[in-house]
Amino acid sequence: MSFLDKIYKWLDDRFKLRDLLPPIVKHPAPEDVISNPLYCLGGTAFLCFIILVITGIFLAMYYKPTPGEAYKSVQTIMTAVPMGSLVRSVHHWAANTMIAAVMLHMIRIYFMGAYKKPRELNWVVGIFLLLTVTTFGFSGYLLPWDQLSFWATKIGTGIAGSMPIIGGYISLILMGGNDIGAETLTRFFAIHVLILPMAIAVLLGMHFLMVRIQGISGRL
Amino acid sequence: MTLIEVEKHEVEEPKSEPVRVRGLPFFPHFLLREVVVMCLIAGSLILLASYYPASLLKPADPFDTPTPIYPEWYFLYVFGFLKFWTWDIGPIPAKIIGVTMPMILWYGLLILVPFIDRNPSSDIRRRKLAVALGIIALIGVLYFTYYGIVHGE
Repeated sequence: MSFLDKIYKWLDDRFKLRDLLPPIVKHPAPEDVISNPLYCLGGTAFLCFIILVITGIFLAMYYKPTPGEAYKSVQTIMTAVPMGSLVRSVHHWAANTMIAAVMLHMIRIYFMGAYKKPRELNWVVGIFLLLTVTTFGFSGYLLPWDQLSFWATKIGTGIAGSMPIIGGYISLILMGGNDIGAETLTRFFAIHVLILPMAIAVLLGMHFLMVRIQGISGRL
Repeated sequence: MTLIEVEKHEVEEPKSEPVRVRGLPFFPHFLLREVVVMCLIAGSLILLASYYPASLLKPADPFDTPTPIYPEWYFLYVFGFLKFWTWDIGPIPAKIIGVTMPMILWYGLLILVPFIDRNPSSDIRRRKLAVALGIIALIGVLYFTYYGIVHGE
């Protein structure tokens, strides 16, 4: 009996692995799902999400969310921190790739009609995921506190703020005042690293659970 | 001390015949493909990140408006539509329509897709209307994205 077998047996004695594993390991995946690369898009988005969590945690170790320090700390990440430039650039590219993958995934689902009964609610959760992901992008954009992030956020909060009735409240909640400043930066930071990660974890859990229960719509 | 009696059923499972399912097992077949795709994507991201590092421009300056300024690419169509729509409808000013249409009506419509499209068929030849509307929506989003790029502030 090899060492791995012993570990397996130890765990099996305690957690009944022999009953738990087969439904996961042997769960059938339709053949065309494996052969057609269009079915990779959702998984691609999820992989990007994992990469974003990991690179994001490392960025958060050096980033300082105040108008005086934000830009300098990003500059330090880009020039002084070992591999900092790579980690930030991977975070940047994974974010853009994730949004593109989510959009393409949605287009595939639409044209294959995979949102039909019984999967209606999973489509709705998917739209909320799209909203969450774009809000992630929007909130992360301000954090480097450079000219591009400041003025892009100016446009974004301006558009959201000119919505009828709710616009004023949304812009006040987002900016924490009448203009983009220190309050806005800490709010966007909190949204980007606390609120949205929790939201997306819940939504992704629902999304995957529903796929697991209902199976992949494999009809072309 | 209270004793709670829990009835334990020893479920006699009848020896079930193995069910034939078309497809391949999750492990290793499906997982193998996933791992290959993951390696390709992770590699591409590292390549992209090394050749085109994330930019960092001059520090933010509220008194220096750069031109042109654009939102992120995935919001360009919202921005483009706002620039495109310049007509008031009755008492509703153009700007309100330009903001409401893409942000509230468009997302509302997206959420309702499975409840609007009641056609049970997922055969692409039997859902010509849904496919046509989908293509129109795609072209619309692409067009307004283009419009947003051309008419940056």
